[in-house]
Amino acid sequence: MAKVKNKRNSGLADKVNNKRKTEINKKKLNPFEVHINREKIKVLGKKSKHDRGLPGVSRAKAIQKRKETLGTEMKLMNKTNTFIDRRIGEKNNQLSAEDRMVARFAAERAKQHSKKDIYNLADDEVLTHRGQTLEQIEKFDDPRSDDEEDEDGRKFGGLGDDFVAEGHFGGGMLSKTESKDGAKSHKDLIEQLIAESKKRKAEKQKEKEQTLDLTEKLDSEWKDLQPVVFKKMRTEEKESAIDKLLSKAEKQSFDYDKMMRELRFEKRGTPSDGLKNDEKQAKEEMARLEQLEKERMQRMIGEEVTPAKAKPDARKHRSAEDLDDNFELDDEHDFMLSYDKDGKPLVPEEVLKDYSVPNAKPKFNDGISDTSEEGEDEEESDENDDDDDDGDESEDGADKNDSEAESESDDESETTDKSQPKDNGKSKLVANDDEDSDDDDDDDDDSSVEESDSQNTNTKSKPKETAKQKTIDVNSESDLDEEILKQVIRSEAGNKTEKTEKPLNKSKEENTKVNEEIITVKSEEEEESSIEDGDDDESSIEDDDDESVLDLNDLRDLKESDAESDDLDVEYLENIEKIGKFFDVSASEGDKLKELLTGKTPAQQSTVLQNLIKSYDPSLSENNKDKLSKLFAYMLQYVNDIFSNLKEEGDVIKAFLIFDRIAPHFYDLAQTNKVSSKKFIVELLKEKYEIFKKRQRRVPDMDTLIFFKLISILYPTSDFKHPVTTPALIFLSEILTFCRFNDPYSISRGIFVTTLVLEYTILSKRLVPPAINFIRGILYLCSNTTVLNPIQVVPPFRLHKDAKILNLENDCSKMTVGTKMAAADLTLKEINDDFKIRCLASSMGILKEFFDYFSDIEAQVYLFEPHLRLISRIDLDLYPVKVVCRINEIANYMKACLEVKTFTPLSREKKRPKALRLYEPDIQEVFTGSKSSKLSREQAESQRLKSKYKKEMKGALREIRRDKSYVASVKIRQKIQSDNVRKEKVKQIYKDASIQQGELNKMKRMK
Amino acid sequence: MAAVQQNFSKMISAQLRNKANEFLNSRKHANNLADILQMFEAETDNYTPLLLTVEVIFTELLRRGDLIEGIVPLKPADHSPEGEYKRWLRQCFEAAQTRALECIRRGRTSSRLQALVTACKLMQAEGKHPLEQSTGYYFPSIRLKNIFTVLLDSELSMSAPIARFQEFTEYRDVQQYGLKVLSTLAYRKSPTSIYMQNYLELLDRLLVCEITTEPRAKAKERDNEEKEEKLLCGAEDKAPFPYNPGVCRRYANRCWGFACQWPLCEDSRVHRRALLLLVERLMPLLARPHLATDMLCDSLDAGGPISMLALQGVLELVRRHNIDYPDMYDRLYAMFEPEMFATRYKKRLLHLADIFLSSTHLPEGLVAAFAKRLARLALLAAADDAAALLQLLHNLLLRHPALKRMICHEDSPAIMSNDPYVMEETCAGASRALGSSLWEVWALRRHAAPALAAAAAAVFAAADPRATPVALAPPDLAASFDAELKKRFKTIEMNFVRPQGMTTPSGERVMQYWELMA
Repeated sequence: MAKVKNKRNSGLADKVNNKRKTEINKKKLNPFEVHINREKIKVLGKKSKHDRGLPGVSRAKAIQKRKETLGTEMKLMNKTNTFIDRRIGEKNNQLSAEDRMVARFAAERAKQHSKKDIYNLADDEVLTHRGQTLEQIEKFDDPRSDDEEDEDGRKFGGLGDDFVAEGHFGGGMLSKTESKDGAKSHKDLIEQLIAESKKRKAEKQKEKEQTLDLTEKLDSEWKDLQPVVFKKMRTEEKESAIDKLLSKAEKQSFDYDKMMRELRFEKRGTPSDGLKNDEKQAKEEMARLEQLEKERMQRMIGEEVTPAKAKPDARKHRSAEDLDDNFELDDEHDFMLSYDKDGKPLVPEEVLKDYSVPNAKPKFNDGISDTSEEGEDEEESDENDDDDDDGDESEDGADKNDSEAESESDDESETTDKSQPKDNGKSKLVANDDEDSDDDDDDDDDSSVEESDSQNTNTKSKPKETAKQKTIDVNSESDLDEEILKQVIRSEAGNKTEKTEKPLNKSKEENTKVNEEIITVKSEEEEESSIEDGDDDESSIEDDDDESVLDLNDLRDLKESDAESDDLDVEYLENIEKIGKFFDVSASEGDKLKELLTGKTPAQQSTVLQNLIKSYDPSLSENNKDKLSKLFAYMLQYVNDIFSNLKEEGDVIKAFLIFDRIAPHFYDLAQTNKVSSKKFIVELLKEKYEIFKKRQRRVPDMDTLIFFKLISILYPTSDFKHPVTTPALIFLSEILTFCRFNDPYSISRGIFVTTLVLEYTILSKRLVPPAINFIRGILYLCSNTTVLNPIQVVPPFRLHKDAKILNLENDCSKMTVGTKMAAADLTLKEINDDFKIRCLASSMGILKEFFDYFSDIEAQVYLFEPHLRLISRIDLDLYPVKVVCRINEIANYMKACLEVKTFTPLSREKKRPKALRLYEPDIQEVFTGSKSSKLSREQAESQRLKSKYKKEMKGALREIRRDKSYVASVKIRQKIQSDNVRKEKVKQIYKDASIQQGELNKMKRMK
Repeated sequence: MAAVQQNFSKMISAQLRNKANEFLNSRKHANNLADILQMFEAETDNYTPLLLTVEVIFTELLRRGDLIEGIVPLKPADHSPEGEYKRWLRQCFEAAQTRALECIRRGRTSSRLQALVTACKLMQAEGKHPLEQSTGYYFPSIRLKNIFTVLLDSELSMSAPIARFQEFTEYRDVQQYGLKVLSTLAYRKSPTSIYMQNYLELLDRLLVCEITTEPRAKAKERDNEEKEEKLLCGAEDKAPFPYNPGVCRRYANRCWGFACQWPLCEDSRVHRRALLLLVERLMPLLARPHLATDMLCDSLDAGGPISMLALQGVLELVRRHNIDYPDMYDRLYAMFEPEMFATRYKKRLLHLADIFLSSTHLPEGLVAAFAKRLARLALLAAADDAAALLQLLHNLLLRHPALKRMICHEDSPAIMSNDPYVMEETCAGASRALGSSLWEVWALRRHAAPALAAAAAAVFAAADPRATPVALAPPDLAASFDAELKKRFKTIEMNFVRPQGMTTPSGERVMQYWELMA
């Protein structure tokens, strides 16, 4: 059996060899020995082991086996000692001696991996050094053995070289003579040697003791110092009971203080992730943007492609008979509406989300309806350094303001310094004033900062004090926001009620007045200079009167000041104060905002707004969110005001400049309060829509159109459905559907609206037929039509009515015209050639963009063929060469595109036949096919065991029987053998006896 | 200024009320009546208080029976002061009526309307309390005739008073007598267009209340069921008014018969009105409606809104009276032009087209041409119109299964170089639309209005055999804007890039085409 055990360890070649050998052995089977067992019942696919057998061979095997096991046992029966050979591979004569060694070594190693040692990873082999294990050596105690001392290079036990040389080698004749006191006796020598060595040893000993002392001293000193360095943990334990009580009380008060501080101050910033380097940040930003873009695309596609998103989790149970026809038993119970004691409906959360109006929500309505907002907000706050939420305390915010203000004022003084040499002493007085005002400014600044600071803290720590104001606020707040907006819009007419200023403000207002004067003086000077500069400008503007020239220069001035990065906002400092009180007095904030912003450059307005928003950051006070949402409404009103009644080109440009600067703030405000800002914008749209519906034929003025621009800045216009942009786009398309376009006012605005439509649809590439029709109309107005040669037109443009109003009659081929529409066009009274040309040019540009939307769609032909026909009717010879080039280019491009257009008949997507749903086959663990399968698990198990037991029992009995027979045969053999021996012996005895008898007889005879 | 005038008029009305009260209370103040009637001459603009006063006075007088003159046959007229007074009152009554009628033509609109109402009220009072003693039902048709002569003015458009008159035409007796009176007035050789318009409008108003065309017996049954037919001049103690729909119909026919002889088709407004009247009201009443065929046919060729109106009449003829009309569908086809969006009757046209094209016996090619045309128009139309067109198109696809090959071409999806459909072809059947596909609807799936995009997608779902055609819902104008605003959204998405100015972070176009800040 050892053979089997060691087989694993033998080489592969041996294995093969063995196998071959056995095979050879098998092959040698005598066919006459084979006995074939007859099958009683043939079962298909059943492999039988017993179909044939070698009775002789197997019997011999069995006998051999018994001989080895039972036989040896019998041999050893009734014997006390046994001899067992456990040497590995000893009995296997197939193994060579070397193999045997290898096997034994492997067995040794394998022992180590036995179950017992499996977790002993390290100490499989204990490393030793000089008989000691390394562990024992590495105890790091200082043995201070004497051996170390020998290491300083001295040989021969530390004796001196001369002594050694003399003592060992005896010197010689020469040296002997040189020696002082002649030859010493050997005894002296020895004594000297001993004395020297003793002395040295003593010295060594002393030195060592000294170092030991020093180390011990150092250790003790360190122990003394230890409590000082570490916390004095154990000292308190030694305190007396009284002290303990006292300290406990103190601790409690400590706790109270701590609690109070915690309550007073908001939580300090917790350490967040480590600083990311720019690259990583940029990468993350990119990833975020990509994600958002992906989401936007998803929204853009909307339900267009996936009409009903399958909700697999919606259904709880599917019957096996479900035919996948989406038939569903509606067994979900409706909830029962009930009310609590306050009269509020008790409704499950998700139902509330579906049905309730935004107003009905408790307080922070933003969070409820905008599920995604929270995360976004955080992200945004990361992005915007303005409104980061990481626990800015009021002081911090104030500090920030303060420092900024100071830096601003520093800038101020610097710039004034700079400007002084420029002024060249032209007005010394002004310069003085400047300085004075600077000082004033600083003072003001400080005081105002303090004030605002104190106010902030006031509002927080002493809410009752401001309760009075709040009640007023609440009155206005409790009204629906819509009403506020309506009121705002109604006050459009401008009820400029004089604001009741506090007496405190008045003194400061004087300051502002002084400042204003200074500024006006300065700006006038600059104006003068710029007028001188702008002579060439003047020449380009031909017919305008002086006023408008001045106006334009003024505008340019504004822009320059923008470029100079907010130099001029001295007033800003005063504004801080106003900002601080902006919402406190409940008097119309709209007017205040107007007052705050009028008479400033766009850049100043921007900074003022920025500060206003910053000082009412939602993290500072919980009311601030509402206040900011109100501010949003007032800013809308302000934009409405600056864009209404634009008569001059200058006004238009100025309005747009201001809007340009304000727009980002709209974004910030809308981000902080999405729901309410959306509500404001929607209300505004409704209002404007009603106004538009009253006079449907007239194009709304810029004070309506600008909000569409604002919407496109704030909201994603590409969404398939959006609460703001979808109505806005419908509004725009209705403007283009219903209005009459027959004068420069309407045409220019129409083009503006079309551009807006283009901007709205640029990403989603949606079809807005009114816009395409409008361009067709413009082309119609440009083209040369006659009554005899009519062309199909689409409403709102009418055949033969106000045709040709944009038709160019004079030869303008030499003219140089800008390609863009200009602000001046919005205020144009009469159509001139310039206007006509630019209208055509820009509408061709827009047309091309619209054309490109639909290059993948067959209907492109139907949409744009009329345009091409109209273009061919335009007298292009009269237009400037550049424009003609561009138009021809576009027209040819379109023609080429339409020519290669192919039409694939619409066909439905090949529907794949719906496969019947398959179920997982129910596989039983054990399939017997017998009757026992009906039994339970335990019963089946016991049944199986029983049958097995029976089988085993049978086998065992048989074995025993055979064993018995074997034993019997052995015994009988033994008996026979012993009988034989006895017989032999008896025979021998008889023989001997007979011989003896014979000899006796012989002797008798002989006698 | 206005306030002063108002005060003034208030004062006048108070004064007048006093006078009227005095007059009614005692005969001593008989001269008050003369004064009041005199004041008509002084006033130029606002006759309302005067008219109201007159109305009050004479209604009261009639109710009292003060005007009734006991005429005994074969006896000389009564010359007693009592008789004189009554005669004088009668004269005043006549005068007041003529005044009121005059006032219909003059002054401000409100006073004109009041004048009409006063005239009618006087008529009503007289009907209830006739001037001669009578027991039966009495209708003062001479008064109605006077009113009608005023309303049928040749120079002045009377549409406002006629519209007001509608509140009286709801009375059955007014309707019947009105038609009778109108038929007597109608004969005129060469009326002006305004006269015709007034006439048609009046006729229109008279026919507002539906005249039953059912047989007598049934009508009687129905009468029993609902007895609350309003009578202007009826009273409890008098015999009921014998309302006869047949008579009404006869008179209406006669009225139209006169109108037919006029040159109705010259002025487009008159033409439109006439068609509207014919189509909306008269068609079921006419004894021989096929006589109108010529007019309708001419109108059908006129184009524009007129032909749309005529179309309805023709449809009626075709459906009810077995008229065979040549090229009917080609004419209908020709009406679908971009100009139709500007007309008022586009919804009517779509509705009619839906009915016309609902016949299952139409050749497929023809219906396909319509479908194609509708789709083309939907590409041009505003969202609301396009939605209506798509709905019609959807119905076409559902009713004519053969058109399904236009949305799901199954056999050979070979690529064509151009659209086989010929838009310019006037004959619908020859436009080869069946070989084409509705690519237009495919494009409309990308329409900016979400509702329309959904509708376009729904058209493609028409291939589903289980869907049924739906009635054309009247698309509400401007509904889309409000509907969009009403929708609720779970989240309010915003742009994710903070703008740095007025330029949109992604896809700025306004600044590309406009130089706004220089």
